[in-house]
Amino acid sequence: MATIILLKDITKTYHLEAIDVPVLKRVNLSIEQGEYVAIMGASGSGKSTLMNIIGCLDRPTSGEYFLAGINLTTLDDDELADIRNQYIGFVFQQFNLLPRLTSLANVMLPMIYADVDRSQRIEQATEALAQVGLSDRLQNSPNQLSGGQQQRVAIARALVNHPALVLADEPTGALDSQTSQEIMDLLTELNQQGTTIVVVTHDVDVAARTKRVIRMLDGVIVENTQASIDFRLKN
Amino acid sequence: MAVETLWSNKVRSGLTMLGVIIGISSVIAITSIGQGVQKATELKIEALGTNILQVLAASARTGGISQGAGSASTLTWEDAQAIAKQVPAATAVAAFLYSPNIQVVRGNVNISTTGIGTDLNFPRVSNIQPQQGVFFSQQDLDIAKPVAVLGSKVRDDLFAASENAIGADIRIRGKRYKVIGVMESKGSVGPQDMDDRVYLSLTNMSAEIVGNNALTGVAINGFLLESSDADQLESAQFQVTNVLRLRHHIRPPQEDDFRVTNQVDIIKTFTSIMGSLTLMVGAIAGISLVVGGIGIANIMLVSVMERTREIGLRKAVGATSGAILNQFLMEAIVISSIGGAIGIGLGIALAFTAATLFKFPFVVPLWSVVVGFGLSLIVGVLAGGIPARNAAKLDPILALHGE
Repeated sequence: MATIILLKDITKTYHLEAIDVPVLKRVNLSIEQGEYVAIMGASGSGKSTLMNIIGCLDRPTSGEYFLAGINLTTLDDDELADIRNQYIGFVFQQFNLLPRLTSLANVMLPMIYADVDRSQRIEQATEALAQVGLSDRLQNSPNQLSGGQQQRVAIARALVNHPALVLADEPTGALDSQTSQEIMDLLTELNQQGTTIVVVTHDVDVAARTKRVIRMLDGVIVENTQASIDFRLKN
Repeated sequence: MAVETLWSNKVRSGLTMLGVIIGISSVIAITSIGQGVQKATELKIEALGTNILQVLAASARTGGISQGAGSASTLTWEDAQAIAKQVPAATAVAAFLYSPNIQVVRGNVNISTTGIGTDLNFPRVSNIQPQQGVFFSQQDLDIAKPVAVLGSKVRDDLFAASENAIGADIRIRGKRYKVIGVMESKGSVGPQDMDDRVYLSLTNMSAEIVGNNALTGVAINGFLLESSDADQLESAQFQVTNVLRLRHHIRPPQEDDFRVTNQVDIIKTFTSIMGSLTLMVGAIAGISLVVGGIGIANIMLVSVMERTREIGLRKAVGATSGAILNQFLMEAIVISSIGGAIGIGLGIALAFTAATLFKFPFVVPLWSVVVGFGLSLIVGVLAGGIPARNAAKLDPILALHGE
């Protein structure tokens, strides 16, 4: 199995006026291809900062980060944008669809920045929307879709460039429990098809659906459990 | 919600564009109209000849009280005839007496026009000839015969295009006049419409329409004097002034009771006034373009703030800062160039309408189109560029989480 994420001694320190506030303290973590991982922790635990660093939206103060074998520490901002485009698919709590665009156009968006030509964009986006079960909603704008459907569009957008990693930040945070189940089912299904998924959540039920739980507290990883079948059945 | 956003975006883009459209179309329309009017004036005055002096009766003084300029009591036909004889630089003199508002009636058509009573030299000196029929003859003048020569507009107002005006009867002040001629069309010179006139013989005009109010002889409003060429005009002016002072017993520093103007001075004055007017109005239009630009900048700035989430998302899915900058710049360029194109079209249309309506040559100065379009593009790019740079610099994390 190839290692998708390798974090070596990652620290992140914010400078607030004269005081240094350490948010991540020498975090070491590796995630293999095909894993389904939950990162948990209370607010202030550093889990959001960790997610931003994994998602290449932020840089560590020190330490090294290898994504699919590439050392990201040396890359500039534009190269990081390309990494996000090619290797990472984001799913957000608030979906973050562009309200003026159709489902299809929303899903096509990442491919615009990948310089994919238009006919192929349409083909790939249609395929991704079929994968999340929205073949009949290609031309609808987000306001014509339910919350669950909107999140499915967002997941299709995350998948469309065939990323090495799907990074989901509280993907069910804005959904009711029934819809949440459906979205988690979809993520499980995608994982079974081979997609590496990292979910950041504080919801135990969501974490229970994953195969491994990483728990953060005060900037360090305090628990890194391979969830047992028993644990998952229990919940 | 999304529909609202969509609509607000449409309205927003529309309003931004409107700023550019108004700015550019006013720049173009105003400069075009200004130049057209200026050109028309130059043409007309050139057509009138640059070797013409105009002598007008000035305020008559009765016991030191001014009676008002142009009151027809200080110049007489005899003055004009004396000038023709005694001024060597004068090649022709045409005396005239006018009434700005006379009713001309034909059948049940009743129009108001300017009546000009004059002599045989008028067509030559004014450079206007009968297109149909004839101007009146010396005999008509001698016996104050009730004959009329119509300006082309007056003819068109009174007669259908198919009718023959020559020989027809019209009524002025209840008296019957026979139409003997129709003058060619000359359009307007300054405020005067050369076509909206009816010409009568000076003697008839004086006797029947205006009345004789000079102390001696036939009162006139003034006369036009033609010199052999423009160079002779100055000496003509000098001689006319002296002859009239002598005849009117005026010794400087006494004030003259007449006023001598020459066409060249009129052209110069008019052109310079028109030039500065065009410049001023152009400047106003320029300012409106700048204001439009500030409007674009403002709306682009608001748009960037409203669209932080969109920018954050685009960056998260792989847009570089350059790509975001490009997107916003392109939007600004599209808005300002579409607005610019519409503005140019509208400006030209406005100028054309005005030119057709008020009958002056239709000129669109190329520079106004280039400057207008260039300015709108520059304003659009600057006004869009600064917010675009801010947008490109946005931190995707903050942008994504900011509501």
